[in-house]
This record gives sequence, structure tokens and C-alpha cells, in this order.
Amino acid sequence: MKTGISKAVERTDARKKIRGEAEYIADRHFEEQLYAKTIRSSKAKARILEIRLPEMPADYFAVGRNDVPGLNRMRTVVSDHPIFAEEQVEYIGQPLFLLVGPDREKLCDLADMVNIRYEEEAGVFTLEEAEKQDTVFTDYQYRKGDPAAAFRDAAQIIEEEFRTGYQEHAYLEPQGIAAEYRNGILYVYGSMQCPYYVRNALLETMAIPDKQIRIIQTVTGGAFGGKEEFPSLTACQVAVAAKKTEKPVMMIYDRDEDIRCSTKRHPSLIRCRAALDKNNAVTGLEMDVLLNAGAYNGLSPVVLQRALFSATGVYDIPHLRVRGRNYRTNMTPSGAFRGFGAPQSIFAIEMLMLQIAVRLGEDPLEYKMRHALKQGSQTCTGGKVREEVKLPEIVGKIRKMSAYVKKQKNKKPFSGIGASLFLHGCGFTGRGESDIRGKVILSKDKDSVTLRVSSVEMGQGAETVLRKIVAQSLDIPIEKVNYAQVDTGAVPDSGPTVASRTTMIVGGLLQECAKEMKARWRECDRLEIEKVYQHPSWLHWDDSTFQGDAYPVYSWGANIAEVEVDPISYEISVKKIYAVYDVGVPVDLRTLDGQMQGGIAQGIGWATIELMEGEAGRLKQSNLTDYKVPTSMDTPEMEIAYVNNPYPYGPFGAKCAGELPFVGSPPAVAAAVSDALGRKINYIPLTPESLMESDNED
Amino acid sequence: MLDGYLPAKLSEALDMMAECDCIPFAGGTDLMVQHARGSGVRPCFDKTLLFVSALKELKTFDLMGKTLRIGAAVTLSELLENAATPQIFKEILRQMAAAPTRHMATLAGNICNASPAGDTLPYLYAMDAEVILQSRNETRVLPVADFITAPKRTQRKNDELLTGIRIPAAEFNVESYRKLGQRKGMSLTKASFLGLASTANGRIEDIRIALGSVAPHIVRSRKIESKLTGKNIKDIPGILQELQKDYSALIRPIDDARSTAAYRKQVSLRLIRDFLINCMLKKIP
Repeated sequence: MKTGISKAVERTDARKKIRGEAEYIADRHFEEQLYAKTIRSSKAKARILEIRLPEMPADYFAVGRNDVPGLNRMRTVVSDHPIFAEEQVEYIGQPLFLLVGPDREKLCDLADMVNIRYEEEAGVFTLEEAEKQDTVFTDYQYRKGDPAAAFRDAAQIIEEEFRTGYQEHAYLEPQGIAAEYRNGILYVYGSMQCPYYVRNALLETMAIPDKQIRIIQTVTGGAFGGKEEFPSLTACQVAVAAKKTEKPVMMIYDRDEDIRCSTKRHPSLIRCRAALDKNNAVTGLEMDVLLNAGAYNGLSPVVLQRALFSATGVYDIPHLRVRGRNYRTNMTPSGAFRGFGAPQSIFAIEMLMLQIAVRLGEDPLEYKMRHALKQGSQTCTGGKVREEVKLPEIVGKIRKMSAYVKKQKNKKPFSGIGASLFLHGCGFTGRGESDIRGKVILSKDKDSVTLRVSSVEMGQGAETVLRKIVAQSLDIPIEKVNYAQVDTGAVPDSGPTVASRTTMIVGGLLQECAKEMKARWRECDRLEIEKVYQHPSWLHWDDSTFQGDAYPVYSWGANIAEVEVDPISYEISVKKIYAVYDVGVPVDLRTLDGQMQGGIAQGIGWATIELMEGEAGRLKQSNLTDYKVPTSMDTPEMEIAYVNNPYPYGPFGAKCAGELPFVGSPPAVAAAVSDALGRKINYIPLTPESLMESDNED
Repeated sequence: MLDGYLPAKLSEALDMMAECDCIPFAGGTDLMVQHARGSGVRPCFDKTLLFVSALKELKTFDLMGKTLRIGAAVTLSELLENAATPQIFKEILRQMAAAPTRHMATLAGNICNASPAGDTLPYLYAMDAEVILQSRNETRVLPVADFITAPKRTQRKNDELLTGIRIPAAEFNVESYRKLGQRKGMSLTKASFLGLASTANGRIEDIRIALGSVAPHIVRSRKIESKLTGKNIKDIPGILQELQKDYSALIRPIDDARSTAAYRKQVSLRLIRDFLINCMLKKIP
């Protein structure tokens, strides 16, 4: 792995970012630019009775729903979020209208003078309340085998309930977007993952043809899913404002506003029932997944789908009954976040399997491995595991790296060791890839080439990896491969930058282009090759029954965490993480290590310190003073290794990687804490407050 | 509104304080956050700012006899760099905020901000530190513990400037500080504990215990400490329960975004116990 495609190259975006030369949206300035400030609901659920605006000075405008030329809804999976609120508000922070003008201080003064009268209504906030009042948005179920028989014949039935909390993306660069009209064309610039999602939303809200819209992605300082659907909303708002004011309009969120009002990871409540046969094997599983979707459904149905199709983790459980519901609450909408529903389910199944093993007096890792999927196994949705499952090699390697057995035996009080096994479905869920049909273009001009895709560099390394795939396929230096500015007027729709699909799907298409280009290299100076994604004929999926191959292939992994718990304060110190992954073939080891380290750290944060609680519609932790993400002091030493397992349909054998590490570290850390304290862990984040409280109950 | 004066010398600053209602502004690390209105927008203050951080008279740092005298414009970083700063105080300062904040922030500012979570306060209370308050016509000296009257409230009069802090020297052979935050670095305190003691031949000669962030004010009780002074260390376990009960009555924490009242109370009592039993018993000869 130290040679060929895996050998690390310098990240192509590193120098300009380190030197401060990268131009983020907040660094831009347009001539005669106006700023926008969002006026938001202060009520969780209410009818708006009256909005009283101060007298607006010249050049200052209020922009609201009556200014929207087309549909006042943000287009996404379920297009239910109003661009600007109408008579009703459904969450604290919901955008009512914009104040727009040349001076930001003046906008603050005007905002302070806005007066809104509401008629408050009773809201729904927690999953328990939502379940009781049945405010369900989406209700999915699927089955496999004969669960009724498995439970009827069970020697033992084990029931557990698991909870996970909110999480804030905390990308370094807050949300930022700008719009301007030039020569009859609407230009939108901003920090985003999915330029074509933004375009599609604008088509409906602005009611103009696609020829009149161009979306240009600016340098994006982190996203993690937080810039998947959310920029569609802000883009529509500034576009409406630019149209009304006939000036460029810029909107940059402050950190507090960003945390309070942008999307979050879905809190979950997952109920599990496992049927064990007389040999102590899990033969049946019932899983009921409840997600708090917040005030609007948005893309939550797809998050729920991934949660459900990850229900059994890496395990082959023959009889299943899986149900999932998204609930409407009067909280800020939940949305896309690294892992996209899978982390919630994987946490539940990993903790369930651990608890069953502990109860049976079995070694958790051995017990889990007895249930592991193999090549040819049926997935939870009745699809087929086609690739070789290298879990035995992964587990062998991680045991050795971590001296797992020795450490289990020589345990000190309040220190613990825990393991997780996990997978992540690569690319879009279900029909996603065949619906999107991503398109890429590779063009040649003499000895240099340009790749055109709508996949964005957002800190994850896409620019380096995609250029490298093309360069190595053509056998030319990476400097000879240009990455075209992501601009919907100039690049094709290769799909959104999500679902760990960029390297495998988009990179795969680019490799096909490059292979063809190589064969025709001497044909002429200029050459353009276009490829469109073809869904492999061997993949079958039925969206109405959720049967078949939910994903074309999976990436796999194991983590072992070592923790110490302070016996006085119950503070957790994660001392060490061992990780072994199968991502096919690493396309660049350093970029991959970066993804893995970051994902592990973000997972540790979610599992330990990142507490975000709702309180009657308000987020109690709504700034980076109260909501803490891990610093380097909170991040343990990590030892990371890979097993090679080339995927024939991925570029150079690559599969997915970006979300996988996030899925793995939370259950490993929770298992280690469970080991350290000698008790069950059924929730995260494991704050010292919650650990001490539950200790008092024991 | 954002108006400010930059006096050239202390007498000018005191004149300003006498003549107009000013907010003394040293590092501004709390004030700027408290008055922020968003990026690209100036913070809004309802009074004139008086910038004191460049006043030479307030940059002094010396030992008068055994008393440490710290000028009001001395930053936390400067305290950390100075050899005269006691080790346990440095330990406390090192866990405060991040380096850029410490380069700006001052001890005087931490006192005047008068937050029960102020990280230097348990130490200043335990050391019987004093503040020097100067106006054009008068200089007063007050114990820090009296100067702060309630959260965000002090005895500073409108025309007074806090110009310095005095920390009387004391030697300890048992020192323990624990700051609990939501994470290991760059975190506000949800509870803190400072225990200082000097022992000789198994007897307690001096003991001071201070807790931060667990009541509207810093918790320190000379009355409870006096129950320990003069006692044999090995007799502590016998009175531990009584002491914990005494402290329990003083520890009155709240629930907030960073922790819970129940946790703060319990962890405080555990830290007191850990200090009195585990740290002190090691000193039995």
C-alpha cells in the first residue's frame, strides 16, 4: 500500500489554505453588495398575528414570502420547509423574513426594532411526546425470514432500549451564501456540498428556467452533511432578496445563529428485542427506530432508510422485523450528518450484541464474530453480500495491534477496553444512484486534462483524490489534471457530495473516462469524454418493499477503544483507539488517515462530551461555549491500519471511506466505558453528570 | 455606541473615572463577548470605555516583603511567565481559556467580572488576597472576598479603578487543584476545587478549601477550616461526615447548559473527601 495509488501525494488544496489564500464566501465582496439578516421565530409553535416593522431607511428592505416568485418551499426529498414562514411557525429560529441593506450594524439596529405578535400553541418536543401524540412523518417497515417463529421458538428473549443525542456539525466555516443577477442570469455563490440541489431548489422557488441559473461553489470549510440540504434554503432566500433589491445580497451566519438554526443529527430512541436459540445464537431481531426529525421532514425519510438498512450491523440475523418512524416535533429540523442514520442503528446493535455476550458470559468479540456476515450471506433487506468479508482478518489484526486479550485480563479498576464491528453501505441508499445517474466529463487540451464534476472539495480531499485517479489512470503528473471550478453552468450533475460516494462512484466514472482517453490519447489535441453512471444489472432493489441490495457494496471496520473513567468526577478519558478498515484499496493513505482520524474524533465527541439538549423547543447548548467538540487534548492516540480488498467496480479497487470511521468509534468507546464501570450502557453522550446519576441509582 | 479613551497615565485615567461614567477595559476578553452583536458589527456598550491595558503604572509585578503585588494590567500569560508566581497558581492559570485569551486577559478583569465560575477566584479567596481600589482622592484596600458581593456585582464605586491585587505569601505542603469542564482544554469551569494545607508531624497547622462554580459565590469557610486546624490528620476520618455536612450546606449550585446542580454538589463533596482523606493522609509521618 506504500506504492501505487495508495502512496500519499501532497494535498492539492493544502498550500492555498495554509497560506490563507483560499477565498471563502465571506472573503468575497460584490459591487453595491447588500447584507441580509434573518428575522426568526422566537416561538416553538405559534400563529403569527402581526409583524410590525420599523420605518425602513432608503436602501433597506424587508424580504419575505410575498416576494417569492415561485414555490415558497425548499425543494428536497420532502419539500415541506417554507423559504419564509407563512401564518404558522413550527420551531424557534424558523426564518420569517430577511432584513437587507448595505450596513450590518444598521441591520442589527433595525432587527432590534421588529415587533412580532404570536398566538402560541402547545408544542411537541421529545420523541416520547411525539410518539404519544402520534406526530409521525414517515413510517417504514420491512421483514426478513419468519420473525414470529424465531420469537415463538426462542430459548431466551432479550429486550433493550437505546438512545442517542443531537449533534452539531461544527464545521469551521459557518453557513454563507450570496446571490446576484448579472445580464439576466441569477448567480448564487456559497459554501455547499450539492450545487445541483441548490439549483433544483431555485428552479422552483424562483420559477425561472435552468439556463438562467448558475450555482458556483466557493471554497468550503467543512460540511459533514450540514451543507447538504441547508444551503438550498439560504440560497433561495438570498436569491429572492437579490431579485427584489436588484443588488447582490450576501448572507453569512454567525456561529451562534448557525448552531441554533441549521440542521442537527437526529436524536434517536431504538427499541430492540432479540430472540436467542438454545445455542445462544441470535436468530431473530425486532428493531423499532424512532428519529426526532424536528419541525419539517426534509430529507429525514432517507436518513431513516439508512438507519433501517444498517439495523443488523455486520451480523447475519435470519429473522427480522424492522420498523422506523420519523417524528415531527417543534424543534429545529434534523438533517444530513456524516453517517446519515447509520450511526444510531450501529450504536444500538453493537451495544445489544455486547450486552447479550456479557449476560451469557461470553467474550464479546468472539460472540459477535460468530454472527458475522460472510461472502454470499443475505443482507438484512435480502440482498447479497457479494464481496469477500474480511472481518476475520480485520479482527485478527486489531486483536494483535491492541493486545486485546492481555489487556482484558490485566484490567485496572475504572479502566476499560471495548470493541466495535461495523460496516457502511457505499454510495446512495436503494435507488439513489440509479435515480441521480451521475455524469462526469473529462476533456483534454494538448498535454493537460480537465475534470468536470459537481462533487466539491469541502475539506475531505475530493480534489486531490479525483485528480489523482485521473492522473494515475492516464499516467500523467497530477499537476496536468485540472479540477474545474464547480459551477452548474460549466460542470455536469455528477450528483451531490454525500454518502461517501465521491471517490467510489464519481472517481469510478472518471477512471472510465481516463481509460478511454488513454486509448485515444494520440487521436487529437482536444478530446472530450463523458460518462454517465450505469446501475449494475446485478443489483436489485424494490423501493416499495425494501427488498434487495440496499447498497452495491460495503466498507467494513473494527475499533478497539481503551478508556479511563475518573472515579471521583466520572470524566471519561479515551486513551487509545485502534482501528482497522477495509475500504477496498486506499486511494491516498494520508488523505484517508485524515478522514479516519477526524471521523474517530467526531464519533468520540458524539459519544462523550457533545451534549445538546432540547428544552421546550430551545437548544440549551447553542454556542461553542456551552457545546463542546473535542480538542486535541480530548483526542486519543490512534493506531490505524487497512486490509486490502479491491472492489472490482471502484477506481483502483476503492470503496467508501468518509462516514465509516464515524460509525465505528462511538460503540467502541461506549463498550469500553461499560467495561470500566461494569454496567450496561444504553445511551450516549456519556456525560459525567449522567454516569454519576445512574451510579447513584444502582 | 462605541466610545473610548486611551489615557497616557494613571492620573489621567482616574480623572476620567471621576468625570464620566466609564467601563474600565483591560484585556476585554469577557466584555467583548458580553457585548458582541455579530461579525462585522461593532460591539455595543452603553458607557464609554476606558482602556487601561497600556498604563505602565498597572503593569507592575513585585514582591513587597512576602506579599505578591500584581498590577491590574498584568496579563495571565505574564503571570505564567513570572518566576515569582506560585506553582499552584500557575497550575490554575494554565487551565484557564486558551493561550490567545491568556495573552489578553488580566487577573483584575477576572475579579471585576465577578463570575462564580471565575477561575482565579478560588485561589484568591483561599490566599486572602486583596484588591486595591483607587479614585482621584482615595485609595481603599478590600479583601477579594468582600469586594465581590454577588454574581456580576462588586463594591467598586463608579469613580474607582481596580489598580492592583495583593496576595499574601503562605507555604503549603499539600496542594490540590481540580478544574472540571466539559472537555480537557479550553473549557469554562462547571466546578472547581482548591485545597491547600500545611502539616507538621502529622498535625494540620493551616488548611484552606475553596470551591468555584458551585454557589452564587466562591465557597470558602474559615469556620469549617478551623475545625481542622490543630487536628491530627489521622483524626480526619472521624469528623469527615460532619465536615461534609457543613460544606453541603454552603454548596448551592444550579442547573445550566454546562452541568447539573446534582452533579456539581456531589462532585464537590467527593473532591473535598478526596483531598481530606487521600491527599492529607499521605502526610502522616
